[in-house]
Amino acid sequence: MGGQGVERREVLRILTIAAAAATFPGFSKWSFACGHLSNAIMHVKPATYRPLFFGASEYALVERLTDIIIPRDATPGALDAGVAEFIDLMVSRDSELQRDFRAGLTWLNTRSVKAQGKQFLLLLPARQVELLEPLAYKAKFRTGEEPGREFFQLLREYTVMGFYTSEIGLKELDYPGLKFYGASPSCPHQDDPEHLHLPPPQW
Amino acid sequence: MPKSLYDVIVIGTGAGGGMAIKTLCDAGLKVCALNAGRKLEPAKDFRNHRMPWEMKYRSFGDPQTPANGPDFTQNEYVEGVWEREIAYTTAPGTHWMWPRCYAVGGKTNFWGRSSARFGDIDFKAASRDGSDTDWPVSYDEIAPYYTRVERMIGVASTVQNRPSNPDGSYLPPFNFRCLDRILQKGAEKAGVPYLPDRIAQLTLPHDGHPPCHFCGNCTSGCDVGAFFSTPWFLLPKAEASGNLELRTNALVRSIVVDDAGQASGVAYIDRHTRQENEVYGRAIVVAASCLETARIMLNSKSRHWPTGIANSSGQLGRNLCDHLYGVSASGYLPQLLGQPSFPDNVGDNSISWMPRWQNLRDAHEESFVRGYSVYPDGGCSEFPSYQDQIEGFGSFFKREMKRRYPTPVSFMVQAPSLRSDSNYVDIDPQVKDSYGIPAARIHFQWGQNELKMWEHSKQVCAEVLRAAGGILEYSGEQPESPGYSLHETGTCRMGNDAQRFVTNRFGQTNDVANLYACDASIFLNCTDKSTTLSILAFSLRTSEYIVQQFRQGNH
Repeated sequence: MGGQGVERREVLRILTIAAAAATFPGFSKWSFACGHLSNAIMHVKPATYRPLFFGASEYALVERLTDIIIPRDATPGALDAGVAEFIDLMVSRDSELQRDFRAGLTWLNTRSVKAQGKQFLLLLPARQVELLEPLAYKAKFRTGEEPGREFFQLLREYTVMGFYTSEIGLKELDYPGLKFYGASPSCPHQDDPEHLHLPPPQW
Repeated sequence: MPKSLYDVIVIGTGAGGGMAIKTLCDAGLKVCALNAGRKLEPAKDFRNHRMPWEMKYRSFGDPQTPANGPDFTQNEYVEGVWEREIAYTTAPGTHWMWPRCYAVGGKTNFWGRSSARFGDIDFKAASRDGSDTDWPVSYDEIAPYYTRVERMIGVASTVQNRPSNPDGSYLPPFNFRCLDRILQKGAEKAGVPYLPDRIAQLTLPHDGHPPCHFCGNCTSGCDVGAFFSTPWFLLPKAEASGNLELRTNALVRSIVVDDAGQASGVAYIDRHTRQENEVYGRAIVVAASCLETARIMLNSKSRHWPTGIANSSGQLGRNLCDHLYGVSASGYLPQLLGQPSFPDNVGDNSISWMPRWQNLRDAHEESFVRGYSVYPDGGCSEFPSYQDQIEGFGSFFKREMKRRYPTPVSFMVQAPSLRSDSNYVDIDPQVKDSYGIPAARIHFQWGQNELKMWEHSKQVCAEVLRAAGGILEYSGEQPESPGYSLHETGTCRMGNDAQRFVTNRFGQTNDVANLYACDASIFLNCTDKSTTLSILAFSLRTSEYIVQQFRQGNH
């Protein structure tokens, strides 16, 4: 491997500016702009998040859906990364997103009541997954559920955006960028140009 | 304001302007440089080392401000450094993207860094294939300037002995990553070259500049100056000479002429005060990038120049060319599924190239003339953008996202458009920008030749990927819209015939002896190579010609 990755951000600590931090809305689960510059910010205890756009029950539903899409398993998931907060922020800034999210959440609850007699959040996890599968897997698509499928796609897109831009999400991927490398990183498999004899996949 | 007279006024501080400023100041000439925007502050404006979660919208930017340009110009990393409200219009049927960076240094702050020399295959392309006109400059004539520019800026590459690519003087190349070596094998089987690109990014300390530390976020700007940009490399030298006065937020309206119709100064608007000022010089260099250069000159109307300064040929604004850009194929390398992550993102993912391999022996081997190059790209990037390729949700989805992380690859095509009478810029008779300056109106369509290259590249890149054992998931549908590459050329083309060309072989306008163009506006056409290195080389040559004119008492 090329070079040892000294955390570049550490070195740049003095260069960066913390100005924006104080003006951000009350995120509870992820640190934001240059939080590492200020010990005070680092030690803020997680508060209960107050959504900027969603109503309480809508927000709970969004949170549950992100948890289903990227669950906490051997590694942290969407709940740990505060993905619902990110979605709430993004949606709060865009009226088209607001319309689509609100309509989608309503569609899902309506579908849930019709199929299972209860709102989505009141269902057992296995029943929730049963409702989502026909929206997520081509082989299980059902006619008449197009709006639900579109919403699921939108929701998953924003969940991915929120998760894989969080510290937890990039740790999940073991993101190797934004570090100091002493030399241009070079392929470590010099004897295997076609890469047909690599060690077995780790995941 | 006192009416002081400078030797030279240079409009623009990007590659062309920056080189002119430095060269002229070094020679002892007093230079006033006008730049439309502000100076960047590296510690504040270059956010390349921030993690996405350190930004309010995680780098995507505020959804309330919809993107109106390419991704790399419109995200939170570069917020406030690319202009969002450039007034320009397009003719019916034209879709032109015009991202502008008004900051000092212009686009060199964020450029792609690919730095291949043009060769005689480019300069004499017209003689080879009968299309358009040869350049008035041969490779032998420009080669020494390329060498000097390469030494100034530092270019990492290898000697490759390719017929379409004259070799230069290089720093050690970037090392190939796993994905490069796999794709190289595929390219070998498909009969296509796969080599280290020519990258103006320092692999060794160079002329007082630190080497690259391979952090990856280059198109957000480099806060240590490890790749060439004029604010890191050229402007400090000009400033040290004591001969430069740099005026920022100075948006140029027009070139002012004297009673004889020669250039005497420049009228500009101070963007802070909105006051109009004039500054006077013995010679004027326009280097505002090719569309803006044309707009300034077309807006410089006077008794002598009723259709714009130096436009007796009627060719000012004409012959606009551009690079057709687009991802012609993408997919993934299953060999790397589930392998540990690797720092692939060392030059915004692109460190290799597939330099032009078409029409080399014979100008008409293919169904198109000229040729294109391809930049392969991929690996572990900051954001995993392959989610659409994985179905479902839950732990399986999460695991697949991780398994896929080192595997994505794509092929970005760079194909030159041929000159066409219908591709040009003029002034919109109705629309003005917010400063009251008449707006540029762009007329542009891709031609058959470049669209054939695009189709060709789809076939070849898919073949390279498959031959490398990769899985093709996407075969380019549409190229990017014109303007996306920021590589436009033409509008003030140079040539030996004053009736057909705006500038002569030194970039001096044929009509106005003390007016020069030092950007890609003088280029006859695009080639398969990027433009910046050639802008620097031609600007250096023109600037030394200007110095010579001063020494001979002509200005």
